[in-house]
Amino acid sequence: MISFILIILASLIFSGIIIRTKSIASGRKGPGIFQPLKDIIRLFKKGSVYSKTTSFIFQIAPSIYFASIIMAIMVIPLGEYKGIVSFEGDFVFFAYILGVGKFFSIISALDTGSSFEGMGASREALFSMFAEPAFFILMGSFALLTGHTSFQEIFASLHFGSYISYILGVLATVVLVMITMVENSRMPFDDPKTHLELTMVHEVMILDNSGFDLGLILHGTNLKFAMYGALIANLFMGSFPLYITIPLFFGMQMLFAIAVGLLESFTARFRMNHNAQYILTLSSVSLLIFLGVLLILGQFS
Amino acid sequence: MTNVLLIIFAITLLYLGIAHRLLTYIKILALQGVLLFGIAFIELIEINAANLTFVLLETIVIKAIAIPLFLNYVMKRNRITRDTEPFLPNFVSLIIITLIIIATFILSNAIDDSRISKIYFVVALSTLFTGLYIIVTRHKIITHVMGYLVIENGVFILSLALGNEMPVLVNLGILLDVFASVFLLGIFVNRVGDVLKDVDVDQLKSLKD
Repeated sequence: MISFILIILASLIFSGIIIRTKSIASGRKGPGIFQPLKDIIRLFKKGSVYSKTTSFIFQIAPSIYFASIIMAIMVIPLGEYKGIVSFEGDFVFFAYILGVGKFFSIISALDTGSSFEGMGASREALFSMFAEPAFFILMGSFALLTGHTSFQEIFASLHFGSYISYILGVLATVVLVMITMVENSRMPFDDPKTHLELTMVHEVMILDNSGFDLGLILHGTNLKFAMYGALIANLFMGSFPLYITIPLFFGMQMLFAIAVGLLESFTARFRMNHNAQYILTLSSVSLLIFLGVLLILGQFS
Repeated sequence: MTNVLLIIFAITLLYLGIAHRLLTYIKILALQGVLLFGIAFIELIEINAANLTFVLLETIVIKAIAIPLFLNYVMKRNRITRDTEPFLPNFVSLIIITLIIIATFILSNAIDDSRISKIYFVVALSTLFTGLYIIVTRHKIITHVMGYLVIENGVFILSLALGNEMPVLVNLGILLDVFASVFLLGIFVNRVGDVLKDVDVDQLKSLKD
C-alpha cells in the first residue's frame, strides 16, 4: 500500500523535474515543477472530441491504458513492504498487464484510420517487442539468484555483500533505465518534442486523442516513469526500515528524473533504423547478467 | 573484483559489435587496456616485483595509451575515413557476438575440468572469436589490425588465468603486442589508406581462370 501512495506522489512531480533539468541545462529558467501537472488538470476539465471514423475502441482505449498502468503499479513493493497485490510470479503479470495497455493504445491508433498513426503504432510495437526479452532475462536472473519469484521477495532478499552483486545492481539499473526510455518513447529512441509526424513514435499515436483522454495518456507516462523509478530504487533498498527507505525512494526518483533530463539534453536521438540494434543490446547485456548469475551459483552443468 | 572487470570486458565486446565509427573502436581498445591493467594488478599481485611492474607498465602504457594514440595518429595521417564499413549490418553483428558468448559459455561447461577458471575461459575465448569475427566482417585494413588487437587481448586474459603458476605465459602474451605493433608500423610506413592499393581485398572477387 505504501509503495502505491509513494509512486503516485512521485509521479506528480516527475516530468516537472525532467523539464526543469532540461531548461537549466540549456540555460533557461524554465517553467515551475508543477506546470506539467497543471496542464494535465486543465486537460481533465475539457471534453473529448471523437472522429466519425473511429469506433468504441478508440473511446475506451485511453482508460484501459491508464488502468493497466495503475494495476502494474499495484504489484510493486517498497523494500520488504508488499504492494497491494503480491503473488508468486507477479513480475510476469507486471510485464503483460503493461502489454495489454500497450495493445489497446496500438489498436486505438489503428482505429483512427490515419496512416501516420499506423506507422507510429508499428514502431512502438517493434521497440516494445525488442525491450521485452531484456526485462524478462533480467528479472529471471534475479529470481534465479534469490530463489524467489515475486517482486517483494526478490527485492527483500537481494543482499549486497559481494562485488558481483554490486555489478549486477549497476547493470540492472542501466538496463531498467534504457527500458524506461523505450517504454516511454523518450530521447535516445524517440524525441517527445519533435514536430514531424514521420519521425514520431509515441506522439503520433495520440494525435487524435483530446481532452480527458489525452490527459489520461499524458499522466500515464508520468506514472510509468515513477513506476520504473520505484523498481530501480527497490534494487538498492534491501530490508531497511521505513524511515530510511522513504527518503531513499524520493532521492532515487529525483536522481532518476535528473538523469533522464540530462540524457535528453546531451544526447541526439538515434537514427530510426539503428534503434532496433541498440534496444537488442539491452537483451545482450541482460543475458550477460544471466550468465554471471549462473557462474556465481555454479548451477550450469 | 576480477569477475566485475571481466563482465565489463564482455560488455565492451558487445559495444564493439554495434559501433559505427573507427574512433569508437579506438576508445574501446583503450578501455580494454585499462580493464586488463586492473585484472592483471589483482590477479598477478603474487609474482615477483620486477615482472609485475613490467606487465602493469605494458598494459597501461602500451595497451591503454600508446596504441590508441598511435592508431588515432595513423588514421589522421593516412586520411582513413571514419566509418567502419562492415560487410554485415551491425544488428547481425550484435546477434552473432551474443551467440559467440553463449556458445563459449556452453563450451566451457562441457569441459568438465575443475582446474580451469570458468569466467576467464569464457571471456578469453569469446574475445578471441569476436576479434576473428571483426577481422572477417570489416572492410578496412586498419580494422583488421584492431581485430587482431582484440584477439591479442583475449590471449592476454587467457594467460592471466594461470599467470601465478607460469608467469612466462604472460610475457609470451605480451610478445603478441610487439607483433601487432609491427602490423601497425607497416600501415604507418607504407601509408596504407582505406585499403591496400594493389591488394584490395575486393579485387580477389574478380579472380577467374
